[in-house]
Amino acid sequence: MTTQIPETESQGLTVRVESFVGPLDLLLHLCRTSEVDLANLPIRTITEQYLAHLEAVQFQDLDTAGAFMVMAATLIYLKSKLLLPVDPEAPPDALDEEGELLRQELAERLREYARVKALGAWLGEREAAQALLYGRTVGELPPPEEVPLEDLSVHLLQRALTRLIEEQKRKAPRQVEPNPLSVLERMGEVIDLLRHTWSMLFSSVAGQERVRAEWVVTLLALLELVRLGQARAHQSELFGEIVIESVPPAEGAPAAAAPAAAANEVPIPGESA
Amino acid sequence: MPEPIDVVEALLFASEAPVEAERIQEVLDLPSAGQARELVQMLSERLDGEGRALQIIEVGGGFRLVTRPDVAPWLVKLARSRTRSRLSRSALETLAIIAYRQPASRPDIDAVRGVNSEAVLDNLLDRRMVRIAGRKDSPGRPFLYETTRDFLVAFGLRDLADLPKVEGDLVIPEGPPDAPGDAAAASSQSEAGETSPDAATDAGQQDPGAGGAGVTPRG
Repeated sequence: MTTQIPETESQGLTVRVESFVGPLDLLLHLCRTSEVDLANLPIRTITEQYLAHLEAVQFQDLDTAGAFMVMAATLIYLKSKLLLPVDPEAPPDALDEEGELLRQELAERLREYARVKALGAWLGEREAAQALLYGRTVGELPPPEEVPLEDLSVHLLQRALTRLIEEQKRKAPRQVEPNPLSVLERMGEVIDLLRHTWSMLFSSVAGQERVRAEWVVTLLALLELVRLGQARAHQSELFGEIVIESVPPAEGAPAAAAPAAAANEVPIPGESA
Repeated sequence: MPEPIDVVEALLFASEAPVEAERIQEVLDLPSAGQARELVQMLSERLDGEGRALQIIEVGGGFRLVTRPDVAPWLVKLARSRTRSRLSRSALETLAIIAYRQPASRPDIDAVRGVNSEAVLDNLLDRRMVRIAGRKDSPGRPFLYETTRDFLVAFGLRDLADLPKVEGDLVIPEGPPDAPGDAAAASSQSEAGETSPDAATDAGQQDPGAGGAGVTPRG
């Protein structure tokens, strides 16, 4: 898209060209700005200007870049032909037969493109005018029972299929991750258990299956409870069973200095009462 | 009992697509489509005469009830958005080529524009401005594209004859086969023509969209 931003400066008018939609667009712009006749394309000057502009052009993708390069190659090829002396009596801008054909073809393409560009601009104006008119695009009438097939195309069918596949993919069974074990939750569980029994085995809390994560979390929870003075633990021998005991209320209170710990103890006597 | 002209107004109000004169004739049980046209004409004059915010336009072979352009600023305010997505210049040029040359294949379009039009065509297909009309009987069997009714509606055209006249046809540049600087886009056709039969079948099996400007340059 060519955006020409006229900037009035002290030196006069500067026109900055941001980008062109294609090599023909750029070439056409060069021909227009230097007011040359498309039928007598001055290869020398146009090639130089084209190459100079090529450095400023921002390429959207490799394909577009390639198209610009192909045009550059054509122009350079034509220019190289000009440098070779064909006939000493010929005018300086004369080309051999093949070159002349190529130049004519280029001029024809440019004329063609100029026409398409003008039509595109006309369509753009129509679109802008139509954008000011608002009508219904979605009716509330129920859809006809017979769907007319005239406006359908393979493309729409393909889109519909793609959409369907995408939806199916989203509906595929999801792997549910188990909640990660939490030391805090395990602490709560141990306290809950200790409300109903004053003593229990570590293995009954951590699970007989000896899942490593379970055992680690249970051990950490137990150690934390012992530190807070909310439980006691015994282990009579190395690698032996750990016995968890509840702390009698009278004993637990002074051990826990933090008010939070004291608050935690309140339900225990309440429960036993 | 509502007057026929009022029924026509209701039809145009409730319909999401342009309503053809034939359809009005059918719904109202009129003897001819010409009478339907007359009713629409009367309704249009009535709307104009009363200075209403609505008007009737003829697009895509039918009639639409739309707002007048001078109330557009308030509608923009109502919508709380001024973005009505517009087509890019590339898209407009591509549409122009297709509109004048229907049906046109992508190599045709690429040749005129001098660049690859694949992405632009995809966008136009998505917006239902063009549709696939079939395949061209040339190497690679590329898809042929033509404009749709939505295109006519979007650009406020009654039919394709509403497009401005161009002297002569749009010529698709073929390019001399021995020209080294032959545009890549145009060379896709001649290139495929020169290859062996096996290679030609290969080209036919792949997505025709993959051809075009991406071909390897010669020399």
